[in-house]
Amino acid sequence: MAKLDQLDVMSRKIFAGKLQGERRSKKRGISVEFADYRHYAHGDDLRFIDWNIYARLDRLFLKMFLEEEDLSLIIAIDTSASMHWGNPSKFIFCQRLAMALGYIGLTNHNRVSAFAFDSGGERRITSLRGRRRTRELGSWLLDLTPGGSGVFNDAMRTIALGRQGKGVMLILSDFLLKEGYEKGLRYLAGGGYDTFCLQVLSPEEIDPGRTGLAGDLRLTDVEDEDTAEITVSAALLKRYKQNLDAYCGKLREFCVRRGMTHMTIDTATELDKLLLDYLRKRGLLK
Amino acid sequence: MTWLTPVTGAILAAAVIPPLILLYFLKLRRRPQAIASTLLWKRSVEDLRANAPFQRLRRNLLLLLQLIALLLLVFAVMQPQIQAGRQRGGKTIFLIDNSASMTAMDAGEDETRLDEAKRLARERVEALYAGGLFSRVPGESMIVAFSDRAEVYCRFSRSKQELLDAIDRIRPTHGGTTLADALKLARAYTTNVDPESDRPVGAPATIEIFTDGRIADLPDQVLRGEHMIYYRIGTEEADNVTITAISVERPYDRPTAVEVFASLLNYNREAVTCDVQLSVDDTALAVEEIRIPLAEMDEGSGQLLPGRNNVVFTPFEQPRGAVLEIANLRDDALLADNVAQIVVPPPKRLIVGLVPASSFFVREALEGLSLKRLELLTQEQYEQRAEENRLDQYDVIVFDDYAPPPGLMPPGRYLSFGRTPPVDGLNEFGEHGAQLVLNIREEHPALRFVNLDNLRIGGGHLLQPAPDVEVLAEGSQGPLLVAVSRGAMHLIHVTFDPGMSTWPLLRSWVTFIFNAVEYLGQVGQGLTAKDLAVGEAIATRLPSSATDIALAVPESGIVPLEPRDPSQLSWGPIRLAGLYVLSWEVPDQDETQTRAFAVNLLDEFEGRIDVVPELQVGQTEVAGRAGESGVYTPLWPWAVALCLLVLMLEWWVYHRKMWV
Repeated sequence: MAKLDQLDVMSRKIFAGKLQGERRSKKRGISVEFADYRHYAHGDDLRFIDWNIYARLDRLFLKMFLEEEDLSLIIAIDTSASMHWGNPSKFIFCQRLAMALGYIGLTNHNRVSAFAFDSGGERRITSLRGRRRTRELGSWLLDLTPGGSGVFNDAMRTIALGRQGKGVMLILSDFLLKEGYEKGLRYLAGGGYDTFCLQVLSPEEIDPGRTGLAGDLRLTDVEDEDTAEITVSAALLKRYKQNLDAYCGKLREFCVRRGMTHMTIDTATELDKLLLDYLRKRGLLK
Repeated sequence: MTWLTPVTGAILAAAVIPPLILLYFLKLRRRPQAIASTLLWKRSVEDLRANAPFQRLRRNLLLLLQLIALLLLVFAVMQPQIQAGRQRGGKTIFLIDNSASMTAMDAGEDETRLDEAKRLARERVEALYAGGLFSRVPGESMIVAFSDRAEVYCRFSRSKQELLDAIDRIRPTHGGTTLADALKLARAYTTNVDPESDRPVGAPATIEIFTDGRIADLPDQVLRGEHMIYYRIGTEEADNVTITAISVERPYDRPTAVEVFASLLNYNREAVTCDVQLSVDDTALAVEEIRIPLAEMDEGSGQLLPGRNNVVFTPFEQPRGAVLEIANLRDDALLADNVAQIVVPPPKRLIVGLVPASSFFVREALEGLSLKRLELLTQEQYEQRAEENRLDQYDVIVFDDYAPPPGLMPPGRYLSFGRTPPVDGLNEFGEHGAQLVLNIREEHPALRFVNLDNLRIGGGHLLQPAPDVEVLAEGSQGPLLVAVSRGAMHLIHVTFDPGMSTWPLLRSWVTFIFNAVEYLGQVGQGLTAKDLAVGEAIATRLPSSATDIALAVPESGIVPLEPRDPSQLSWGPIRLAGLYVLSWEVPDQDETQTRAFAVNLLDEFEGRIDVVPELQVGQTEVAGRAGESGVYTPLWPWAVALCLLVLMLEWWVYHRKMWV
């Protein structure tokens, strides 16, 4: 927890918020960090007149400061049945990751919102701020149960339409979506959100051969009961990995083209290592 | 390629291959497994194989390998063999030529044609009797070797080992080549007569003949339904120069000297130069170089006319008896005809007995000859000595119009005039009147320089000679002079009494008496090499008291002989040319007595050894097969080995797929 306290959520952009926070904004405002001078105009706050310059030049100049604002942190968690799979479970991993990131957001006085989406509908908790709301966020996350099929596109549309202000959006999902992710991500692309697509995959999905998948199998999709008959062979596993790499690469390219950041996260990764090392290197945290 | 058990293989293939393919079409019982998303798996599976069943089959390496393994197994069960003959159910006769020309060394490295023929025959037997587990029972086979006579080495048998042993036992001979006896033998064994209908039953046999095709009586033979397969042994470019004649004479004026002649034939298509060596008792005496012209094809008759040349050695002193040898020192394919030997007896003066003592013309003529002794015998004296078996002291006995009683003419050398002596083959059937001489055989030694043109005959005995009796002079009403030569019995008979003709008045009378007595006196010890040929028997007279009789035979060593009557000794038939030395002991003499017999090939027909491309048996042409056509090579062991290899590969592929 002490380590998490030192972290903060990074945005490649400086976003305006509704409350004055600890984040620099592009808007000039009240802070300690000097930005510029301008000529005094009628109605300006006299407290910001630089009296030293007036004494020297006999003209009124107004000092301008960068205004520090708070940050909206939106965490969207895929709770479809496919997330409750793998060892460790992708869902539990996402719960822990969301909690950690939410905690970081709350600790840094960011406005934290969380969404959970699956075919059962959308659940949300919004506008949490301050460390004292941590318990509330944790309780919400623990109440989530995975199930149903993925409704990614609808959920993204809902989130995009209902968002307040601007900020950082984290999408925690495996992105293994038969209906495709393109439409949903397009909703988020235009709104000034700094969007991070965190693709959470279990070791069984990344390297099924090494985790003991073998023999003649009838694979059943946990979401839609779809089946696939396979005979596990070296050639098939090789082809699967090629397909997985291609799928992830395509998602990454899609994100990059739209100013989003894509990260693939293995659920076998230690959470502290992920937070303190990986996500810092990738610019999500500082 | 042939198949021994194709039906079994086909049944096996039908039984195992379709089920294997069906197994691949059946749904596999798969283990259910929940998974987060089938998205990527479906894509992967689709990438790996298309959905079309044939494409699936094509890409299924395991099925392909299993199919190959099964097909190889089926292939092995069908027992394929390459270059093997067809397996037949009927009777097969293997005729193997072991004549002189088959000793030619043109079949390979240190291998004669007979070796090659035996090897091929062995392979054919192996092929016929190499059936596996599922093959049907092969027919019977017989092994016959033939040269100038045929010999059964193995009667009809299904035992492969017995047949192979028989082939191994076949030995070369220096005989000529005739097929008649062999075919007669084969037919005697193959023709089964149905006792009810008294007609031949069963299919004609297959004759597989292994020869160079140089068969003297081939045009006279006819195939009576037999299927003949001709295995050509030897090459068409065989090099051979052959000695076809050798003669030795003692000049009349120098009885202690010897004069040697030899005749050589060249069958090659180019002229050759030969060194001909004369040896006396294994000591080289002289070498003459002669050039023999090339052989040419006579376009008119289509016959090959060999080049011919003679060699004459300068007369040399040889007062004692000796073995002379003429050797052609030039190497060629057939060695047997490169050497000819002849035994020269010491100059011998003859003891002649004349019966009856009252003879006039004959006695006059004999007294004029240079004889050691002429004994005049009355009929009673002759008959008494014949009964006492004391006639072997005479070299020649002359009957002048006398015929001894039957049984009193033991084997010996006889010259008779007038009455017909009691010899088989001379059948008298009356008397004839005056007649003239129509023709005579001048080449016979007894008729050399004998001119009978002016001979008038007043009367004599009509004679019906048997086929083996040689007619030396033919008159207008029948034979006038005949010669009989049977084993140790030699006879020249004149069918008329000289007193009833003008012959005693002619010069030819004395010449004939001299020739006939000399010829008969030297018979069997001869100055005429052709007297003993391969296929004949050695027949000679030894003293009745001779013991420890043995014969030294070329390539066989000493053969002890135990004749019932040494005075009628015979041994044969002779199978190989060379020098045969007879030895015996006489009780009152310390030294072992010996007598040599030279047997030479001297056969123009056998000397031509270029192989015949196709046999003309009567009107049937039988194409020759190359030497290797009967090689048997079973393929099933290879198929089984390959099958195991494919199974190992299949095992590896399977585990490579399963080990991830």
